[in-house]
Amino acid sequence: MTATQAGPVPGMRLNLVVWLGLMLLVVAEVALTYAHLSTAAQLAGLLSLAIIEAAVALLYFMHLKYERPLLFWTLIPTLVFTLVLMDHFWPDALRLLHLRLGAP
Amino acid sequence: MHDSEMTLGPGALSRAEESPYGIKSRKMAMWLFIIADAATFGSILFGYGYLRLGSPDWPRPFAFFPTILNAAVMTFILLSSSLTMLAAADAAQAGRRSQAVRWLAVTALLGVAFAGLHLREWFTMFGEGWSLSHNPAGGPVLFGASFFSITGLHLLHVTAGVVALTVMALGHQRGRFDAVHVETTGLYWHFVDLVWMFVFPLLYLMNAH
Repeated sequence: MTATQAGPVPGMRLNLVVWLGLMLLVVAEVALTYAHLSTAAQLAGLLSLAIIEAAVALLYFMHLKYERPLLFWTLIPTLVFTLVLMDHFWPDALRLLHLRLGAP
Repeated sequence: MHDSEMTLGPGALSRAEESPYGIKSRKMAMWLFIIADAATFGSILFGYGYLRLGSPDWPRPFAFFPTILNAAVMTFILLSSSLTMLAAADAAQAGRRSQAVRWLAVTALLGVAFAGLHLREWFTMFGEGWSLSHNPAGGPVLFGASFFSITGLHLLHVTAGVVALTVMALGHQRGRFDAVHVETTGLYWHFVDLVWMFVFPLLYLMNAH
């Protein structure tokens, strides 16, 4: 695929394989939930699996893999940048947590 | 200025309007909507994250049966509906109109099944005393507020998607909507599925006991 041309869209056989892969990831998520991990480790594991699922769905189900690369580079870094900016609020939220007044 | 300088030659208009992304403007509009909507869901999921991690006594009320199993079945239904949506777009692209309409109808029905299971779960929770401002399990009342608002926003998207799929099926059958319309509707439906990939682990699995 060149920088300016979109590639051919995959057939239903590949879509079925991707669907099966996504189902396996969902099963892995449920298994991880009952693996008796700490909350932080559970969150990290579940988020990682969710991001992999979302990436696969974006690339194969939404055909982003087969569009011109310019579409990917216009949309996805913008979204990630926006979400990272939102993440800057995290430290402040945790600081506010420590400012809570105790129960009377 | 000569007349010849003011007149565009054959095909000039189409060349001038060609998108650098190589896609129709309606599909580009859907992509822009999806990115904006992803930022919306991202912000409310971050907000939920503040509450979840900032509250040591956050409840974990969901048992494997029925809640987690029910949510897993809902995930299976939504993922399967993405597959049937792809089949609809594939058939529309190949000019198999009646087959595309059938797959669109199956996708819409799977969406209805998802919404039905979701509403049944909601009403069960209402019956147990859960609401936007009440938490029968103890701990922060914001559990109900965040759970019902995030799943409610997602359910609203599913409902809008089912309406869009129905309109698309009827329009495609009559020849009013073409294959690009079907594919663009599919983009929206896959996005609804993609959002659920975050809602399921963060709101259900992280709250399983």
